Amino acid sequence: MQPSRLHWKRGRTAEQAGGTCTVEWIGCDEGGKPIARVVRIMGPLYADWRRYLAVALDREARIIELRPPAPEGAEWLAYVGNRVVGRAAWPLQAVRRVEAALAMM
Amino acid sequence: MSRTPLERIRNIGITAHIDAGKTTTTERILYYTGVSYKIGEVHEGTTTTDYMEQERERGITITSAAVTCEWKNHRINIIDTPGHIDFNIEVNRSLRVLDGAVFIIEGVAGVQPQSETNWRLADRYNVPRIIFINKLDRVGADFFRACNSLREKLDIVPLPLQLPIGIEDSFRGVVDLVEMKGIVWEGGELGAKYHDIEIPEELKEQAKEYRQNLLDTALSVDDAAMEEYFEKGDVSVATLKRCIKAGTLSGAFRPVLCGSAFKNKGVQPLLDAVVDYLPSPVDVPGIKVAAAEGEDEASERRRIKADPNAPFVGLAFKIINDKYGTLTFVRVYAGTLHSGDTVLNTTKGHKERIGRMFQMHADKRAEIKEVSAGDIAAFVGLKDTATGDTLASPEDPVVLERMAFPVPVIDISVEPKTKEAIEKMSIGLQKLAAEDPSLRLRTDQETGQIILSGMGELHLEIIIDRLKREYGVEANIGAPQVAYRETITRTHTETYTHKKQTGGAGQFAEVKITFEPLERNGGVVFENLVVGGAVPKEYIPAVEKGIRSQAETGVLAGFPTVDFKASLIDGKYHDVDSSALAFEIAAKACFREGMKKAGPIILEPIMDVEITVPQDHVGDVVGDLNRRRGMIQSQESAGSTVIVRAHVPLKEMFGYISDLRSMTKGRASFTMQFHHYDPVPRNIADEILAKSA
Ligand SMILES: Nc1nc2c(ncn2[C@@H]2O[C@H](COP(=O)(O)OP(=O)(O)OP(=O)(O)O)[C@@H](O)[C@H]2O)c(=O)[nH]1
Ligand SMILES: [Mg+2]
Repeated sequence: MQPSRLHWKRGRTAEQAGGTCTVEWIGCDEGGKPIARVVRIMGPLYADWRRYLAVALDREARIIELRPPAPEGAEWLAYVGNRVVGRAAWPLQAVRRVEAALAMM
Repeated sequence: MSRTPLERIRNIGITAHIDAGKTTTTERILYYTGVSYKIGEVHEGTTTTDYMEQERERGITITSAAVTCEWKNHRINIIDTPGHIDFNIEVNRSLRVLDGAVFIIEGVAGVQPQSETNWRLADRYNVPRIIFINKLDRVGADFFRACNSLREKLDIVPLPLQLPIGIEDSFRGVVDLVEMKGIVWEGGELGAKYHDIEIPEELKEQAKEYRQNLLDTALSVDDAAMEEYFEKGDVSVATLKRCIKAGTLSGAFRPVLCGSAFKNKGVQPLLDAVVDYLPSPVDVPGIKVAAAEGEDEASERRRIKADPNAPFVGLAFKIINDKYGTLTFVRVYAGTLHSGDTVLNTTKGHKERIGRMFQMHADKRAEIKEVSAGDIAAFVGLKDTATGDTLASPEDPVVLERMAFPVPVIDISVEPKTKEAIEKMSIGLQKLAAEDPSLRLRTDQETGQIILSGMGELHLEIIIDRLKREYGVEANIGAPQVAYRETITRTHTETYTHKKQTGGAGQFAEVKITFEPLERNGGVVFENLVVGGAVPKEYIPAVEKGIRSQAETGVLAGFPTVDFKASLIDGKYHDVDSSALAFEIAAKACFREGMKKAGPIILEPIMDVEITVPQDHVGDVVGDLNRRRGMIQSQESAGSTVIVRAHVPLKEMFGYISDLRSMTKGRASFTMQFHHYDPVPRNIADEILAKSA
């Protein structure tokens, strides 16, 4: 693969059994402006007496519920801006979905 | 012994379904690492690890064997385990003490029932694994189908690190996806010589695709590696290996390699992978100490870290009696020990003096003077230490988690051919049972016969054979019987008063006990709910003892009673006439009376049966299974054969092998293993009751 056209940096992290892990990667353009994200969908998750099948965190780290839940083996969502451009099992795959979508735009 | 730094030690097991090629692979490993100067073969009875006479005669592994070798400056301790389910205890105890495992899968059949069982066992002990798809030289071998069976049957993420170059007859090497090169074994030298080639043209595209899959999957466990990738569009081999190791340890994915042990291909890269990806004793979180009484089994507890300078902690995991006496195999988790030292058996609460210590190489031994954290060694001179017991320094007398043992499902009665041999026989059997926790010995209270319970016909056959060869006792055995169990279906409370007034001191004890059914595998649970001293504290253990010993002989047909809870809720005692014995007698009688009123039933073992049968015989086989009260679980085709899976009562499976052969003209094979206990149907229950009456 070519080196990325975007500059990807770590976004939010989450505490998991094995330690801290990154659940969001942010893709920035030349000027450092974030234009894409890949986000790990989490769930099921219990909060406020409710059970959420699939959630991600928004920019303020608030829980947002996603519908429909992630199909098995596709826990990563690829966003350009606010538009979902693909799903993938692994973050790198999701990054490739973003880059492929950008190449088409 | 432990001159090798801990980081460069690997304690690994090789485990798989029967005949997958574990011993063949181990034999190659010993040859390529220079431990042996020639390759032995299973079918010639000349391998290092199958050293027992019975193993060599039959071409199967029966007992696990430990060997040690050096590879690229690392010391690898390997335990070759048997695949046959009758000897599953060997896999169980080995996985319990190993830091990692090589899982071998057959290239033709993919994941088979015992691969699945052993996989779950390794899950239970959290053992990191790499997978080796073997026998790619065989007709019908398919690397990708085998990978799929891993995903589907084991519910894991298989991560190929290699692709085969050629297949079946033309299988000649592998593509290494980490370094993106080909490795081929050409010419003779029994596979000791191999060389790198460029990836063959026809595989380039596929290799690229699988390399990308490798990066996608492996880098996901390491953020810094992701960043390296974003920067350069690739990562260094060192980074990739670091990620593969991290994911192997966490179980995020399972690396898959391939080859043909018999044709001497693929074994050296497997050794590289053992060194690169499987953990050293310091890479694992450390062994857990046992839960304290009443503590949740799943709770977070202290772990013992591999540290040669800490107080000594070891686990006895295997016992062998031979002409030199008793050898106790111990995995050392922490500390250092010298021959002549004294330790505590913390499981049983007594002292043990360590006599001589050996490093084992299959059946050969080399004396050593010292063992320390990370080692596996055999001790001589322990008086009373059983499989699963912890040995620890009095400075820090911890108890490690116990092992779980498999359920014996077949009974046979044994008696010596001559009356004089009875003593010798019972000593022999006791020694064999001490070696093998999946073998149980009991005396039928009514007939006085000695009953052996084991894992299967083969298991018991081997035991009787060993009794003859090692202890010189020829024994007659009864026909194998199903190891039925009894249990109850309703809750019932029974009060029993034991009173005896004959001349001198009397006997008095009264117990009120509630018997309630538990779920399957609930075992026998005893609980004391007496408050205020209606039964004095010192008599409670006697009540429990009475219940447990009487449970060995059930009220219906004399089979052991399981899956119930007995709660002592009340009772009465007498200052003078009460005794522990009186309470034990009362508890036994209370059990006999109470259980009859608690809806007793008989349980039978149901087996998970897998039959591999050619297409044109499937109908016959399935029809026959139905007549045997079988429940078909699935039928899958794999090429021209079909794999039929069914749950069938063990009772209906005696002699199945010969029926199957005649039904299919010898073209089918089957394996079975215990699955669960179920109530027997009415008519069968009547049959059993009539027999026992
Ligand atoms: N064609 C072929 N045969 C193999 C290969 N590996 C092993 N075998 C044969 O398969 C049979 C079983 O091999 P073993 O090494 O005894 O298998 P195992 O897994 O140790 O078997 P158990 O210990 O009894 O469970 C032997 O006849 C081997 O020669 C292989 O790569 N290709
Ligand atoms: Mg073997």
